[in-house]
Amino acid sequence: MDSSVKGGNVTGRLAETGGPLSAGYLGIVKESLVRLSPRRLLSNPVMLAVELSFFLTLILSIFPGLIPKVTTPSEQPFYMVVAVILFVTVWFSTLSDSIAEAQIRATASSLRKIEQEVTAIKLDKDRNPSEVSSKDLRKGDIIMIRKGDHIPIDCEVLEGIGMVDESLVTGESDLVQKAPTDSLIGGSILRSDTLIAMVSANPGETYLSRLIAIVESSKRPKTPNETAISILLLGLTIGFTIIVAVLLWFSVILHLGVDLSVLLALYVCLLPTTIGALLPAIGISGINRMSSRGIIAKSGKAIEAAGDTDTLLLDKTGTITYGNRTAVAYIPIGGHTEREVGEAAFLSSWNDDTPEGRSIIDLSFTKGYFPREFASIDRAEAMEFSAATRMSSVKLEDADEFVLPKGGKGILQRRRMRRKYIRPDTGDEIDISKGAPDAIRESVPECPSGYDDMASEISASGDTAMAVAVGTEIVGFIRLRDRVKSGIRAKIEDVEIMGITPVMITGDQELTARKIGSEVGIDRIVSQAKPETKMLLVTEEQKGGKIVSMLGDGTNDAPALAVADVGLAMASGTMAAKEAANLVDLESSPGKIIDVVMMGKQLLMTRGAVTTFSIANDLAKYFAIVPVMFSSLPDLQRINILGLSPHVAVLAALIFNAIIIPLLIPLAMRGARFRPRSTMSIFLRNAMIYGFGGILLPFAGIEAIGILLNLIPGGIV
Amino acid sequence: MNPLYVIFTLCIFTAVILSAWFLSNHLFSVFGKRKSRLDRIFDPVDNLLFKLGGVDPKKEMTWKEYFLNLLILNVFQAALAFVILNFQLYLPLNPQGFPDVRWDLALNTVMSIASNTNLQHYAGESTLSYLSQMMGITFLQFTSAASGLSAAVAIFRGFSGKYGGIGNFYSDFVRSLTRVLIPLSLVASVVLVGLGVPQSLNGYLLVKTVEGSSQMLQIGPVASMTSIMQIGTNGGGYFGANSAYPFENPSPISNWFEIFLMMLIPTSVPFLFGKMVGNRKEGSTVLISAYAIYAMNLIAAFAVVTTLGQGMEVRFGAFSSVFWTVTTTAFTTGSVNASLYAFNQIVITAAFLGMMIQSVPGGVGVGTMYMIMYIVITIFIVGLMAGRTPEYLGAKITPRDVKLALIAFLQHPVLILIPTAIAFSTGAAAAAGAGNNPEGFITIFYEFTSAAANNGSDFLGTAGNTAFFNISTAAVMWLGRFIPIALMLSISGSMSSRIRNPSPGLHTDNLTFAAILVVSILLLAVLTFFPFLVIGPVLAYLEGHVNGF
Repeated sequence: MDSSVKGGNVTGRLAETGGPLSAGYLGIVKESLVRLSPRRLLSNPVMLAVELSFFLTLILSIFPGLIPKVTTPSEQPFYMVVAVILFVTVWFSTLSDSIAEAQIRATASSLRKIEQEVTAIKLDKDRNPSEVSSKDLRKGDIIMIRKGDHIPIDCEVLEGIGMVDESLVTGESDLVQKAPTDSLIGGSILRSDTLIAMVSANPGETYLSRLIAIVESSKRPKTPNETAISILLLGLTIGFTIIVAVLLWFSVILHLGVDLSVLLALYVCLLPTTIGALLPAIGISGINRMSSRGIIAKSGKAIEAAGDTDTLLLDKTGTITYGNRTAVAYIPIGGHTEREVGEAAFLSSWNDDTPEGRSIIDLSFTKGYFPREFASIDRAEAMEFSAATRMSSVKLEDADEFVLPKGGKGILQRRRMRRKYIRPDTGDEIDISKGAPDAIRESVPECPSGYDDMASEISASGDTAMAVAVGTEIVGFIRLRDRVKSGIRAKIEDVEIMGITPVMITGDQELTARKIGSEVGIDRIVSQAKPETKMLLVTEEQKGGKIVSMLGDGTNDAPALAVADVGLAMASGTMAAKEAANLVDLESSPGKIIDVVMMGKQLLMTRGAVTTFSIANDLAKYFAIVPVMFSSLPDLQRINILGLSPHVAVLAALIFNAIIIPLLIPLAMRGARFRPRSTMSIFLRNAMIYGFGGILLPFAGIEAIGILLNLIPGGIV
Repeated sequence: MNPLYVIFTLCIFTAVILSAWFLSNHLFSVFGKRKSRLDRIFDPVDNLLFKLGGVDPKKEMTWKEYFLNLLILNVFQAALAFVILNFQLYLPLNPQGFPDVRWDLALNTVMSIASNTNLQHYAGESTLSYLSQMMGITFLQFTSAASGLSAAVAIFRGFSGKYGGIGNFYSDFVRSLTRVLIPLSLVASVVLVGLGVPQSLNGYLLVKTVEGSSQMLQIGPVASMTSIMQIGTNGGGYFGANSAYPFENPSPISNWFEIFLMMLIPTSVPFLFGKMVGNRKEGSTVLISAYAIYAMNLIAAFAVVTTLGQGMEVRFGAFSSVFWTVTTTAFTTGSVNASLYAFNQIVITAAFLGMMIQSVPGGVGVGTMYMIMYIVITIFIVGLMAGRTPEYLGAKITPRDVKLALIAFLQHPVLILIPTAIAFSTGAAAAAGAGNNPEGFITIFYEFTSAAANNGSDFLGTAGNTAFFNISTAAVMWLGRFIPIALMLSISGSMSSRIRNPSPGLHTDNLTFAAILVVSILLLAVLTFFPFLVIGPVLAYLEGHVNGF
């Protein structure tokens, strides 16, 4: 996989809103000029030092003979040119900031479009409806949402059950059933029924707008490495300031004949201006790359921790497999026929609206196993549906264990499902149940021979076995098959190449889990996981010095998400999960956790590359300027390996120093490219390109600019 | 370049590295967790010392406690030596009846020796009594080397993370003395005496020469000081002429033996580091990087025509004089066997580089400490390119580590450049005979570089015995000695409890990393000192001062 980021939903919407730079080029230029104010540069010591040098040379250009011994009036034109280049250097820096800011604002406004203003129906105390704008809703207001309406704002269902399309907000295309106490996300659409709900957030304070505010805020949290680089830059700035000041002093007392403007030029060239100019933009662009893919970082630390990941916890369902297992075969047992199993399975699944349930009905229809008892289902349903909710139509044992699956998940929690029918011919009540093999076995008095063998054989082949019992007799199994997501194998390979250990977590049996694991190339498997397993796994890995990244959506996951170094929550998940996590995926696409790791690495890499490049550049600048800067030491001409005359050498080095900033803006914005390889080989490749390349390139660059400057008719100043 | 030089150099390297490797096993049993058969002999001695001092050698110290104890002990020892030097006329063992040492020279001398620098603004044979030489100088040479070794092993423990802390200063200090420095010096002294170096407490001898005239033979407890000055990378000799003087260095054999002694412990400490962190290859990487730059300096020095210059000893010849000068600066020992004025400016540039880098391989203990500082900075700058937060030995590098390592790095140019500038602007340089020309600049620049690097070789010699240079270099030597130790101990203290990742992405135990480290160190040195080397030795070379000035 190339690090270049594949378009997701939000990215798609970005394109529709007219590109990332909707602020307009004029606006960007204007803002970049405003940012030139020294007060705004206080947080960037490198550029502040360049700007102060600019002010000094500006004064020299106006009063060229101001300071005796280190300035010469006849050099006035040279001072002016130096001043202009220094000004442009600072401006390139503020320009890169402004472009990055404009990009991220564009991303934020495209995210914000999700939560548009709509007309809502507000109910007063006596339940009289009135139409109001969603802007005017306040926390605690009661609203009515009809079929087809946009949910105007974050709210909580009070009455009714309905199916909601959250795809606009979360990217999840399956409808989600919402019942009382469930929360609704503003911007999603109600596809069935009518709901009464209570507004849970004021406009502008909804979960989504709080998330977007983080993206836009200028107080974006600094990441630890960003802080460390700032310290490095401050240290280098102080160091070079002392070196240049002492050099000036020696020049005066030892009569070396150094011109102040040349010394300032050397100073600016030595300062790590490239990284100093681009550091803020690299950080902003990194966050922007994540945001434009719908991932909101609540803390800066999480972005870098993603790059540092050692252990990646992956849920099998949803991340590695599609999660909607489909029935592929019926296997009779103990003298029963396939038809018996098929019909029983059909009956047991009629009201099961999970993807598995639907696939069982499909399989029975295809095979022609249409049960005679079907007629009684209608009656039974009619009777049962008179109750308040659909839930009650399913008679359940140990009901507190049962959680209605949302969007095809929740297999973990469901152990057994049971239905009762009246046999039409005899009028007897029959009781059909289906569920995990061990759960079903516990519920029947005796178990047919070969039951366990068959169950484990199905598991061993990577499928899931579901047993079906009629009354107290087990009739057979349904073979359910989960499909591995396309492309997941390659992604897992990438992750492993980079030295990250993927761990697959699943509630499945050991054998099933192993089969899927070997299919996608994961060796570490945690099977028959319980909700607390994740948390234990995270803390155990961390004790061994590992950085752990994980993904979660349920309230069960919240503790683990909170402890993990990178906790990515799905926007479709529960509020507890989202609050505990430090990253939220608005598109709720589980496989993206791997991309988050890559984006984290890319951000670190870009910072390191530009820092190394910037410092490596200094060698050539020394060799260009130092041999020509002491006018009273002509002997030094012998080490002038670039062979440029004094003015040309100084200007060429300064121009190279300035021009490299805009040339690297694209690198800063899109991040350093990389292919998944071992950390060491990525490092070596980058060290060659940015380290050794950074030492050699400026020699060629300065020489080339010098040759061009010499072409100017009449010579440069 | 003469191919014999190469072969001879390789022989020396092999002999030193092999002996250092064996010594590192012993060092590991002294400072590491390994038990040794020698414990039965040394434990009672050490325990007696601990009892006398009233310290508990098993008490784990924080980095602050460790550093403060180290500093206070050094201050106390220096103060004691100061008193001896200041009142030597009234104290025993002064058969020559030398007067008391002036306070500023005494201050400079004790601070110089205690900081492992041994910048000598005096000629020992005509200034110091036997008591001053032994109790003032030799004693401090032992303690300063022991302090450096102790600080280094404490830092290794913290970086290793396997020791639950950084250890106890008094335990390390006493063990450095009783189990490493004293036994080694005893053996070396005996060998030196065998090679003709005097060891006597009798007064100077007046002898008749063959020509019939008379000559004063300046003898004294020379061998005991010469051995520790080389073994402890101190460099302060008995005589003003240091190891150029026949009684300190009688023959080519003693010459190479002394070179061997000064290389021994600094070469051994990286091996010890590897053993203490639990990966010998980490230690080899440090050693290879250090030797690579050291070898580059040697090659540069030999690349120019090497002829016998005025100020070199005919006994040793040009080759061993150049070899000694590059080695004494690379190992920040500072002993000399020829006058620095005798050398080609390229040799002087190589000497400067050794002192500017301070870790190729550097002095006892602190050389490897500086190498770790360079590693922290290098890993932070380039390690990010691997796409992970940089780690060293499995521990993540924090912003605080970067800050402290950077201060440790930047204090060096600051301590060199600012005093040099002050010396020229106050006229102090001129007073010591340094003119406003490249030669004068080199003299003063070298003085402070040598002081800040705790090297001790200098151009000034007794010309530096002015109030300005005595006080300013004393301050530079102590700041340049103790600031980096404090900062590196502090990093190490916080490292000791940091969670380790057993499988870090960036491997630092291989030749590739050594190559990157070498480039990074050279780049950092060039970035900070390039213009000053250009207006100093490089200019002097270009102006045609081929053999000294």
